[in-house]
Amino acid sequence: MLQTFQKKFYTNFIEDDRWKYIWEGLGVTLQVTLFAVLLGIVIGFLIAVVRSTYDKTGKLKVLNLICNVYLTVIRGTPVVVQLLIIYFVIFGSVNISKIPVAIMAFGINSGAYVAEIFRSGIMSIDNGQFEAGRSLGFSYAQTMVYIVMPQAFKNVLPALGNEFIVLLKETSVSGYIALQDLTKGGDIIRSRTYDALMPLLAVALIYLIMVIVFTKLVNILERRLRNSEH
Amino acid sequence: MSTNGDVLIQVKEVHKIFHDSLHALNGVSEEILRGEVVVIVGPSGSGKSTFLRSLNLLEVPTTGKIFFEGVDITEKQTDIDKHRQKMGMVFQHFNLFPHKTILENITLAPIKLLKKSKEEAEKQAMQLLKQVGLEEKAASYPSQLSGGQKQRIAIVRSLAMEPDVMLFDEPTSALDPEMVGEVLELMKKLAHDGMTMVVVTHEMGFAKEVATRVLFMDEGQIKEQGRPEEFFENPKDPRLQEFLSKIL
Repeated sequence: MLQTFQKKFYTNFIEDDRWKYIWEGLGVTLQVTLFAVLLGIVIGFLIAVVRSTYDKTGKLKVLNLICNVYLTVIRGTPVVVQLLIIYFVIFGSVNISKIPVAIMAFGINSGAYVAEIFRSGIMSIDNGQFEAGRSLGFSYAQTMVYIVMPQAFKNVLPALGNEFIVLLKETSVSGYIALQDLTKGGDIIRSRTYDALMPLLAVALIYLIMVIVFTKLVNILERRLRNSEH
Repeated sequence: MSTNGDVLIQVKEVHKIFHDSLHALNGVSEEILRGEVVVIVGPSGSGKSTFLRSLNLLEVPTTGKIFFEGVDITEKQTDIDKHRQKMGMVFQHFNLFPHKTILENITLAPIKLLKKSKEEAEKQAMQLLKQVGLEEKAASYPSQLSGGQKQRIAIVRSLAMEPDVMLFDEPTSALDPEMVGEVLELMKKLAHDGMTMVVVTHEMGFAKEVATRVLFMDEGQIKEQGRPEEFFENPKDPRLQEFLSKIL
């Protein structure tokens, strides 16, 4: 029993340095996730500004309409399909490395969700804060930057942390464009050794540990923010 | 140079209709003179808060004009932000900035809008804090203050912009009874120092003692006004008589 385990472990991970598929795949997964989240934050922030400006003042009507179309399309279609379209249709005739494509696809996808996180954060700030800023003589933009945004950002930090965790798992479909992420790495080992259990279990375990660790971090952050009076 | 008695704010035939149906202001015309302390009273829903908030355009009138220091601020081209710097406003719920210290709350606008240096703004803020006896709270955050202290800080925050008029929107309504006095004291002091003030309040004692003029609003209109003595002793409008009999 123990011997077969040892043997299987050897063929799946040690032989031909197969552990490298997992290790390098993990690197790709983290890289794609991190940059996609950052891209998502930038896109989400811009959309949230447009949408909440429209909600509060009725300005930016056309931009708001464009943002709504983007949100509807991105949230209404599967991320795998979006990834395939970006890789095979939009960049179909261009020779481009897969990592930036994945970052772009997941970033654009995440941006739609982050936008709603930011928007709810802005809308959760009491309108009195806004009026106090305006009554002192601050413009709409200044009030947003000095008074509303800093408070809203603090409120949404935990939600952004959760978005990172969600995205970490979602990037596991990167294999559809043959990007060798963590999931694909385990799958390659399976195709070499004809043993599905061990490599896929290892992959699942790594995702699980990362999610547990990041969830813990988000919880700590949440508690800190709640305890701090300001 | 402008002196006491000049027209500071002029309101001309202002209507405000909310959501196409609620007629909050129904043709209000009024003048606020420099140096006046005008107290506005009236039942809830009478439009007094809407009237006050339209003076600095937090509520934009549906029709009508408002002039501040001779400038039509309801005109679209007017830079309202510039004029609001000269109109301090104090809210029922204080609206201090919770993410900033008391000192930062007070100095934010003078530094960013009046382009004062940090040192200059802080020096002025500390002087104002000293006047209201809260200088030891400079480094505190709003959440560490009592309601009365918060409201006094909110007043100081407005004063730091050196406004020409102060608008008070029910400044003591959200306070515990034992804290009302300290805020009214500060407002009295301001009035004695010659600040032009427009105050929406239910504190009739304050109106009697401090107001130079009292307005009674009902159904979106100014139904009666006068010096406090005649206003309270000898009300003519039947709605005002009813209102006063209920609260006095």
